Amino acid sequence: MKMTIEEIVKILDCTKLTRDEDLLVRDISLCFASDLMSDVLRFGKAETLLLTGITNNQVLQVAEIMDLKGIIFVRGKKPDENIIKKAEERKLPLLTTNKSLFDTCGILYQNGLREGVKI
Amino acid sequence: MNNEQSLIYNQLFEIKGGNFIDAGSASVNVKKTLKLIGIPSEIIYRVSICCYEAEMNIIMYAYRATLDFSITPDKIVLKFNDEGPGIKDIELAMKEGYSTATSEMREMGFGAGMGLPNIKMNSDEFYIESEENKGTNLFIGIFIDRKTDNHDKSEEIA
Repeated sequence: MKMTIEEIVKILDCTKLTRDEDLLVRDISLCFASDLMSDVLRFGKAETLLLTGITNNQVLQVAEIMDLKGIIFVRGKKPDENIIKKAEERKLPLLTTNKSLFDTCGILYQNGLREGVKI
Repeated sequence: MNNEQSLIYNQLFEIKGGNFIDAGSASVNVKKTLKLIGIPSEIIYRVSICCYEAEMNIIMYAYRATLDFSITPDKIVLKFNDEGPGIKDIELAMKEGYSTATSEMREMGFGAGMGLPNIKMNSDEFYIESEENKGTNLFIGIFIDRKTDNHDKSEEIA
């Protein structure tokens, strides 16, 4: 099952933080949810959509290292404007939703997306 | 084999401990270079993870360090030499979940005690030596042609 970022924006009632509309057609099939960047690096697969409550610069670096397809900040979190700018330069779509991490995962799972995890 | 002759690429980075603003930039540069040279993506992914984990360890714990990044026809080598507090018990530091991170580091999403084990898991050659109150030397080698069993690329789910 695949969904575009645009479809995810609708079902999670997300606000788009980055302005590049072209990135919203990107297909997503795998997600990984964590506030621990160490765990994203250890357990996450490459090219997933990350769901997190961490908004610092390290999320961007981890996204670069892991070739993440996008980031959804949960619980209404929003990174600084300079982080949004950097993400735009790197063509990394950033979204925010007021939903909790639990609900966000549940809704995406219900819509057919699965976890991108390596054991 | 003469290493100098077989070198395809070599770059030296300086990393400052405590510099959280630029943290990860050496690793992002290493990754860009590997992409430009045309190294297979699953190798790039493993090198990048090792490099970033090691860089973050330096940012969090050491005073300063150098990263000697080199590419030969058969492998990619990352040599980190840092000046810092060193690691008291390497065996313990290699255990998943063991960490001496501060709450500040944990707030940034680090210090889960996964760093060194994750580097070992993603590398083909891994050597570490450390002296308390002096520093730590880390050697990471990743073969370019080896099948990467422990790297599992994203699979499409039908």
